[in-house]
Amino acid sequence: MRRLRVLAGAAAASWLFSFGAGAAGTDSDIPTPYLPSTTVAVDEMLRFADVGPADLVVDLGSGDGRVVIAAARGYGARGLGIELDPKLVEEGKANAQQAGVADRVTFRHGDVLVADYRDATVVTLYLLPNLVDKLKPRLLELRPGTRIVAHDYGFSDWKPDRRIVISKTYLLYVVPARVAGKWRLHFSRPEGERVYEFDLAQQYQEIHGGARVAGGYLPAFEARLSGDRIAFVLVDNGVSYRFEGRVQGSALLMEGTVRSGVGRNLDTGAWRATRVVPGSSEG
Amino acid sequence: MRRETSTGHRSPVTGHTSIVIGLWLVPLLCAVATHSVGAQDEGLKPAVPYVPTPQVTVDEMLRIANVGPQDFVLDLGSGDGRIVITAARKFGARGLGVDLDSSLVAEADGNARESGVESRVRFLEQDLFDTDLGQATVIATYLLPFAMLKLRPRLLQLKPGTRIVSHDFDLGDWRPDRMTYVRKNVFLWVVPAQVAGRWQARLRIPPIERHLELELTQRYQELSAHARLNGVPAQVWEATLAGDRLSFVVVDTTDRENEASLYFEGKVSGGVIEGELIRGVGATRSVTGWRAVRGQL
Repeated sequence: MRRLRVLAGAAAASWLFSFGAGAAGTDSDIPTPYLPSTTVAVDEMLRFADVGPADLVVDLGSGDGRVVIAAARGYGARGLGIELDPKLVEEGKANAQQAGVADRVTFRHGDVLVADYRDATVVTLYLLPNLVDKLKPRLLELRPGTRIVAHDYGFSDWKPDRRIVISKTYLLYVVPARVAGKWRLHFSRPEGERVYEFDLAQQYQEIHGGARVAGGYLPAFEARLSGDRIAFVLVDNGVSYRFEGRVQGSALLMEGTVRSGVGRNLDTGAWRATRVVPGSSEG
Repeated sequence: MRRETSTGHRSPVTGHTSIVIGLWLVPLLCAVATHSVGAQDEGLKPAVPYVPTPQVTVDEMLRIANVGPQDFVLDLGSGDGRIVITAARKFGARGLGVDLDSSLVAEADGNARESGVESRVRFLEQDLFDTDLGQATVIATYLLPFAMLKLRPRLLQLKPGTRIVSHDFDLGDWRPDRMTYVRKNVFLWVVPAQVAGRWQARLRIPPIERHLELELTQRYQELSAHARLNGVPAQVWEATLAGDRLSFVVVDTTDRENEASLYFEGKVSGGVIEGELIRGVGATRSVTGWRAVRGQL
């Protein structure tokens, strides 16, 4: 499957195709060719990631530096480019100087698989699928809410949070908080506080679970996770409760507001959940 | 999934065939109903079962339709009136419910008075297929698939932006614009504007004016589009239609040194599309208006 994707993707650019075909036997050793993103592609990646002045944009495989330079010049962001080819690193530095953003962007010579970029708020990548998948474990360690934008090639089993097609395919992934496990969920209701045993299973940003209550199980409907933001609906005794909240940094606590009713009959209360037993999450 | 309805809710309504029996009958009636399409043509009324919608689902339907005080909610097959009454009581809307069963219409009237919303809602003993749908901004339905499909052409003729909400049963290949699952599937459709055909626009983008020719084909709200920019074929991306709101992206390669995406957003009104055009992103972003008309300039 992955083999096919390399070839199918590579077929788009004929010289890439010869690369892919030549390396058919050793999937993992395909060298990453340098194929600069077009102006429109750089624009779309930064727009899609909703880059702003508060962001640190890290480009993995930064080439001549065009992505981080555009992020600094067009959006007031800071940038870090990581590039294996030392000549391109020098070129990136010179281009940043020329663009007048040398104080806001840095370039580092190094291997994207071992580089440290843990302060990133946005990661951009344009790499072949085998390398994208190898980066995944470290990307998932980034702060929840960090946006990852890939173009053309995404992860083989992590579904994007959003996808757009404008000449090329752009994929946006938001690093999910780790919420799998058993939680004790407290929430206030007009008739007093309630406590549920609340279970969550997780695969990347996809979550499902529910609350164990005396004599039954309440499935969590419309359960969503985006970075550190979580939302789900529980229906108890004919009333729906809409939970929205944030997962705290430690991932041992989440809290937020719970709404019951609709329209004018909306009651708002607070909820918090503490993790009793951590679960294993594939992702 | 169906069984939980029978245990989850005590209907405020009494005097109806037990909900449990009603629910067991649904699959059976679906089959009967399918067979009775032929009979219907000979003047026989198909059997339409009365299955009250659980309150949680009523709330969810009105919530995803974003009902507000400006809305007029029409419920086709209004039963004991709970959808229209909830729309008035919890969302401040006005509404009309139609039902073939005169005893249910009387009961709905009674329930409206009890809820204190009788000045804002009405119930009529009337066939939904004889009802003027044009007065509604939101239409609620809970009809078996054959009836949904029979209704569909009329729904598509409604004013663009009219919302339709249903649960359990959808509108066939007209895909919902939104769907949620809270115990039951709830579907929302927004009636799309009719945009199929050729459109022309002059775009005021310095330094040179661009001429856009746009050809749209449409299947419900799904669009496929082809464009020419100054006579050169240009691909159209991310074309979406929500009610009378159209948006799409064209990559402007007129100036090879200065390529950028053109983001179009506009409101469709008869033979005119008018709105905002953004060129580029970030610091080089520029905004102008654009206006397209049908056919040739």
